[in-house]
Amino acid sequence: MPLIRLRGVAKHFVGDVRAVDSLDLEIPDGSFTTLLGPSGCGKTTTLRMIAGLEMPTDGEIHIGDTLAFSLERGRALPPSKRGLGLVFQSYALWPHLTVRQNIAFGLEVQHVGRVELATRVEEVASALQIDALLERFTSELSGGQQQRVAIARVLVMRPSVLLLDEPLSNLDATLRMDMRAELKRLHAETGATIIYVTHDQLEALTMSTHIALMREGVLQQFGPPLEIYAQPANRFAADFLGNPRINLLDGVVDDGAIVCSGLRVPLGPVSAARGEALTVGLRAEEVRLGTTATAMAAPGRVESVLPTGSDWYFRVRLAGERRPIVTVRDNDAATLREGDDVWVEAAPSPLKAFDREGRSVTATGGKAAPAAAPRTTVAEVAW
Amino acid sequence: MRTAVQRFRLTLTPQRVLAVMFLIVLAYLVLVPLFVMLQETFTVHPMERFQIPGSMPGDLTTAHWERTFFGPDSYAFFYRPLINTLIVAVGLSLLALVIGGSLAWLVVRTNLPFKGLISNTAIIPYVMPSWTLALAWIALFKNQRLGGQRGIFESLTGVATPDWFAYGLFPIIITLALHYFPFGFMLIGGAIRNIDAQLEESAELLGAGRMTILRRIVFPLVLPAIFSTFLLTFSRGLGTFGTPHFLGGPVREFVLSTSLYANLIGQRPGIGYLAAVVMIALGVLVLYMDHRIIGARRSFVTISGKGARAGAVDLGRWRLPLGIGVLVFLFSVIAVPIGALAIDTVMLRPGQYSLENFTLHYWIGDAADRIGLATGEYGILRNSQLMGALGNTLQLASVVALICGVLGVLIGYTVVRLRGTVIAKLLDQLSFLPYLMPSIALGSIFLALFAVSRGPIPSLYGTFWLLMIACVVSYLPYAVKAGIGAMMQIGPELEEAAIMAGASWWTRMRRIIFPVQKSSYFSGMLLPFISVTRELSLLILLVTPATQLAATITLRYTDRGWYPYTNGMVLLLIVIVISATMLSRRLMKTDLAKGLGG
Repeated sequence: MPLIRLRGVAKHFVGDVRAVDSLDLEIPDGSFTTLLGPSGCGKTTTLRMIAGLEMPTDGEIHIGDTLAFSLERGRALPPSKRGLGLVFQSYALWPHLTVRQNIAFGLEVQHVGRVELATRVEEVASALQIDALLERFTSELSGGQQQRVAIARVLVMRPSVLLLDEPLSNLDATLRMDMRAELKRLHAETGATIIYVTHDQLEALTMSTHIALMREGVLQQFGPPLEIYAQPANRFAADFLGNPRINLLDGVVDDGAIVCSGLRVPLGPVSAARGEALTVGLRAEEVRLGTTATAMAAPGRVESVLPTGSDWYFRVRLAGERRPIVTVRDNDAATLREGDDVWVEAAPSPLKAFDREGRSVTATGGKAAPAAAPRTTVAEVAW
Repeated sequence: MRTAVQRFRLTLTPQRVLAVMFLIVLAYLVLVPLFVMLQETFTVHPMERFQIPGSMPGDLTTAHWERTFFGPDSYAFFYRPLINTLIVAVGLSLLALVIGGSLAWLVVRTNLPFKGLISNTAIIPYVMPSWTLALAWIALFKNQRLGGQRGIFESLTGVATPDWFAYGLFPIIITLALHYFPFGFMLIGGAIRNIDAQLEESAELLGAGRMTILRRIVFPLVLPAIFSTFLLTFSRGLGTFGTPHFLGGPVREFVLSTSLYANLIGQRPGIGYLAAVVMIALGVLVLYMDHRIIGARRSFVTISGKGARAGAVDLGRWRLPLGIGVLVFLFSVIAVPIGALAIDTVMLRPGQYSLENFTLHYWIGDAADRIGLATGEYGILRNSQLMGALGNTLQLASVVALICGVLGVLIGYTVVRLRGTVIAKLLDQLSFLPYLMPSIALGSIFLALFAVSRGPIPSLYGTFWLLMIACVVSYLPYAVKAGIGAMMQIGPELEEAAIMAGASWWTRMRRIIFPVQKSSYFSGMLLPFISVTRELSLLILLVTPATQLAATITLRYTDRGWYPYTNGMVLLLIVIVISATMLSRRLMKTDLAKGLGG
């Protein structure tokens, strides 16, 4: 059962630099879990600590039933004994070896018999469609081919957990799309647990079953991607996920709504004291543009129209003292042009509001949701 | 406490164990000798008993310091050699910079013809023993002052060369500069090549002229390389022994290295050691200045150019004359000296350059021939002493190259893997320290340390081991530099991927680390091999009759005026080093410049 448990895992460097600070995380068996965050948030360090390449300065790591690391008990299982495979960001293919030798290296080191070795190399090579490249040197391969070789080199060892460190960052945009789909297929076919590191929130949203969002060494939120998208635990989570970025408007509670620059955002079932200052998070698709005034709407003016072909995005400046600009996706408003006066209406589902400290007052899970708690599924979030 | 112990146990990785081991060994071989040498300058040595009234050998004394700095004869054996040393070191460094720098610019940035040939041959003067040119200078320009024999120039023209031209500081500076200019060529050439062409193109788009670009963009970017070159040649110039010995000896013009040698093998070892201390202080001072002046700028050098190569500067009608001029220059510093030495070895009576005087006696003659300069001496190729010394040289050079290569890889590996830790910094600096020590001073350090047995370490004086240790320590900076450079390039992931696959440390070194950087590894070995083969300054104090080397034995023949033997041996050494360079370049794609660098 390769359920991976991290308990109080920390990595401090000299001079009190905290790469990772007391991390509790439980990565479910068979999941595609993404460690997501801006650069320097400790996601790669966390991955390397799980792999065993980096020694935590505190805490315990369990992989399945085995204790992989414990400072307390003086135990640090060598990386190769943890049943993991790691694909490096740079691929780390050995330039002096051919593709076949690269893939076979691990098996040779483990003294796998010649016949079995050859079969396994051929097998994995054909599965990844690189069987024609086996005798080439890695420098002769394209970026996408190198990537496949790097994955093949790991898969041939039949790991129960696959660790991927920003594997797509060196590929161009179209190839990246293809590889996303392929990695997802790989996950479905092998059934292995995948831990994936990226700073690209779109990659995380499209590929993962779970996201662990990190910032400055601290876990911000853990859960399925759409849950984090719909119910961010704090301002940072709301801001980091989603493209275009979420609109964050400062407002004050008044009569069952939060009023931000004239825009009334309905509180719904959420209870909040009148006069309380809250920040509302509105996704672009949660804002509508109209030509007639309503009770909840605020007046504004279209600053720019940004069609992407499939969608219409607008940047609208609200009238009023603080004049914030709101990004809106409204495909029914395609006739609007720059300079048009409009009425802006918000229909968040569910409402995302944050207090002065940036904590969510609306999300059901707390900040840095305890990993042990049963996670809600996407279906449940809809409630 | 318990967790602290656990943490220590968990962090006991191979690179840490290696680092501590290297630190201990290096501290003993580099730091301890420094203190021992300093101690020797305060000690009464047996032969100094009578010069220092009322003293016993082993007594503590400040007499050496007083005599050196304030004594009645201190000008003769300290201040004048010191001034001469500075003149020589500064002069040769400037000259080498000008020659090497211009050559580098011509080859890298202009449309000079014969570039390939020039790049390939410009390194040869450095590969040859530094005193080759000194001997060739003597063969060409010696005048009647040296025991009545005339040089080739005087024989051909009948014009006697003046003393200042034939001997002393002037030819010392010229010949050393012609030996060291390849440093400038390689280092500055590398720096110019690394400048991103876009930097120059941007300046050009902003309307800067060619001279402005050269002065305001290229020159500042190359400045660190220029300082590195200066530092390198200056500190090499401080410690060089052969050339000042051959060219300064006849007119009794001393520099610190020759004065040190004379004192140390003569009656005043204390004063000799003191000269070594002064030389090391000078070396450290130069590095400090280099560090202060250039410090932060150093990082410029690592800019790697990805942009398109800038259009080569068109030399116009000067193109062909300059190309031919450079070739003639290289020809005259390589082929002419070799030719001059070669002619001297086949002329029976020195100074008479005619066909009937031709002989192979000095190469293959019998001891019973009773002709030529030295009766009772076999020709070089039949001379068991000379051939034995050559054998020793080859053996020493191979062993040292092997050890340096291995240490370079291992220390480079540990330093890079532990980068950012105190231990890595210590190891890096400690292995760099010998770089600052003028060769002959380093030699005297080892003489001081191993002349007597200390604790469990026996006296190694007169053994092959001592020569080996001295050479390894002396060339370690180059090997480590090559090792670090190579490790920096490959990054840790290649090894980590092997760790993930379950490869042991030894397997990783054997199957990944070493094969990946094979070419740098051999570059790290080539430089020590060549250097040891022609090493004179470092070893002159350490050899004994039992451990004579090809380079040091020639000194005995020169002192007797038996130049054909000396010149013949030098020719053999040149053949060895040039073929080693060519062979390894062909087989291993080695690059000498990788082992240098500032």
